[in-house]
Amino acid sequence: MSEIALQEKEEELKRKGTLKKLSSKFGPLIGLFLLCAILSILSENFATVNNLMNVARQSSINAILALGMLLPILTSGIDLSVGSILGISIMIMGVFAVKMKLGAIVGILVCIGVGLLCGWLNGILLTKLKLPHPFISTLGMMNVARGIALIVTAAAPISGFPVAVQFVGNEFVGPIPVSFLLVLVLYIGFHYFLTKTATGRYIYAIGGNKEAARLSGINVNKVLVLVYSISGLMAGIAGLVLVGRVNSAFPLAGLGYELDAIAACIIGGASFFGGVGTVWGTLIGALIIAVLRNGLNLLNVPADFQMTVIGIVIIAAVYVDVLRQRGAKKNK
Amino acid sequence: MKKLAVHSIILCTLMAVVAGCGGNAAPTNQPKQEAAPQAAAPDSGQKPKVTVVLKTLSSQYWKYVEAGAKKAFEDLGVDGKVIGPAAESQVMEQINMMEDALNQKPQALVVSPSQPDTAIPVFDKYKAANIPVLLVDTDANWDGKATFIGTDNYTAGKLGGEELAKQLTKGDKVALIAGALGNNATDDRIKGAKEALIAAGMNVVAEQPADSDKEKAMSVMENILQTNPDVKGLFSANDDMALGALRAIEAKGAAVKIIGTDGNIDALEQVIAGKLFGSVAQSPYDMGYKGVENAVKMIKGEQIEKRIDSGAEFIGKDNAQKKIEFLNGLSK
Repeated sequence: MSEIALQEKEEELKRKGTLKKLSSKFGPLIGLFLLCAILSILSENFATVNNLMNVARQSSINAILALGMLLPILTSGIDLSVGSILGISIMIMGVFAVKMKLGAIVGILVCIGVGLLCGWLNGILLTKLKLPHPFISTLGMMNVARGIALIVTAAAPISGFPVAVQFVGNEFVGPIPVSFLLVLVLYIGFHYFLTKTATGRYIYAIGGNKEAARLSGINVNKVLVLVYSISGLMAGIAGLVLVGRVNSAFPLAGLGYELDAIAACIIGGASFFGGVGTVWGTLIGALIIAVLRNGLNLLNVPADFQMTVIGIVIIAAVYVDVLRQRGAKKNK
Repeated sequence: MKKLAVHSIILCTLMAVVAGCGGNAAPTNQPKQEAAPQAAAPDSGQKPKVTVVLKTLSSQYWKYVEAGAKKAFEDLGVDGKVIGPAAESQVMEQINMMEDALNQKPQALVVSPSQPDTAIPVFDKYKAANIPVLLVDTDANWDGKATFIGTDNYTAGKLGGEELAKQLTKGDKVALIAGALGNNATDDRIKGAKEALIAAGMNVVAEQPADSDKEKAMSVMENILQTNPDVKGLFSANDDMALGALRAIEAKGAAVKIIGTDGNIDALEQVIAGKLFGSVAQSPYDMGYKGVENAVKMIKGEQIEKRIDSGAEFIGKDNAQKKIEFLNGLSK
């Protein structure tokens, strides 16, 4: 049964035309290149190896969160808790690795494990408690996780992590930050997962039409739990990168990051209606945000103005998406 | 192909517009900072380049620091800029700003870190690039700092205690309201005030934390008045708590002389109204000014003190109006 659904989905994709796929794939990429070109002209400091590696490093945390976020969005859901999960993961890691001195490996496992657990709970809340929308379950988790992150040390930051914990966030291979290499590895892995495995295709199918996916025999709840678990896991990994960068865990870490992650997915061409979006688009979305922030910093544009600009870019990117869908409907 | 072209053009144009906005914003910022120094920099053609990174530019307190720094740019002929994230909670944004500013090769960094521990890896980069780092307002546990310029909280508290003692007679009962337990800044103020009050022969009957929170201070004061209805004086570690305690005191109809700390405008208005006796004011303006002034000294190769007190002054009824006018003048 599910095979048929998949075939239908694929045929539908073909119907919508390769042109659409091309434009959705390369629109953001062209935007990124153009943005870089303009910034290179406006600021002599932009196109230097040092600065571009800075951008790669600064984009890593959001790129990892956005990759996790892409899965719920593909299922026409959302995960508002990723920033808070990042916070709770690193605080609990701090307790294990620094306060209890249990070492780097335990710390890293705890960090990733807490992320995964929180994500899994998000999935259970959605599918077992049947909360009506992931907006609600993850909004709840957002507050619970942030609250616990603050409670753990009575809001005090934790510093002095073992060197091995800092490896991912702080080290370089040649000029390239390890955190960005990790981003590339994760993105390649997710690309394979989403396009080449049955589960990956199910995720797109659920986003396309949940009821049809269920009727065609996909265990929708199981896939959803997996999707939110992975999103939480990515938040834990992003936390590891953050701690490495600043050698410190603080309870408000990741505050508001869910919004940047959502923005990266949307700028990268993912649709809130589900079923549409690619990992590479998301990476470009995350890079566009990082390049914009970095470039505007170099041009001495104040922070409040930067917020405005990023807002405009989100709206512009989604407007392009709207145009694209309108075009696709006409093609039918 | 037509559609792809249209989409690309739309996105490119938007990006160009967005980037163009950034480009326009920079020049409008520059003249403000560069107009004055031309007259003030007589001998050397090369103006010292100083970057000031604050916790945020969006609150009253930090506006005063910014105003002080900008005045120093003007007076000393500095090619300077003041930057900061949109909110104090944006810790990673502040780190990114420091990294990006490093690429512009300033000759000194004046900074108030939102989370001192997280900023240390970036400070190390500045040190590696031989750029002195001067801390203002908030100290960091980092050996490489050129100096720390901030309020000496102990001295500020002592000043408050002495002023309060002048208004009372030996043996009078006094109470102290502290900030959150473990907050060094407010703890030091209380310590200073307590020692001054005891030295003057006062009877300290209560010392309780109210977490720098107005509402909490009100309940704490209610409880203090319950057990000690004849309290004659109160020192509070910040103005908000002084105002909260004031409500409790007014409700009881007690006659208590209250001194707060910070010198906020709303507290000073109550001083003029005769409800608070006074407030020990920090000097955020001086922190900004002295930060830049000492950065310039460092650049010129002069020695500076490892710890610079930005001073504290007692504001009572006779000088409150003047202080309010000064503060209002700054925020224009």
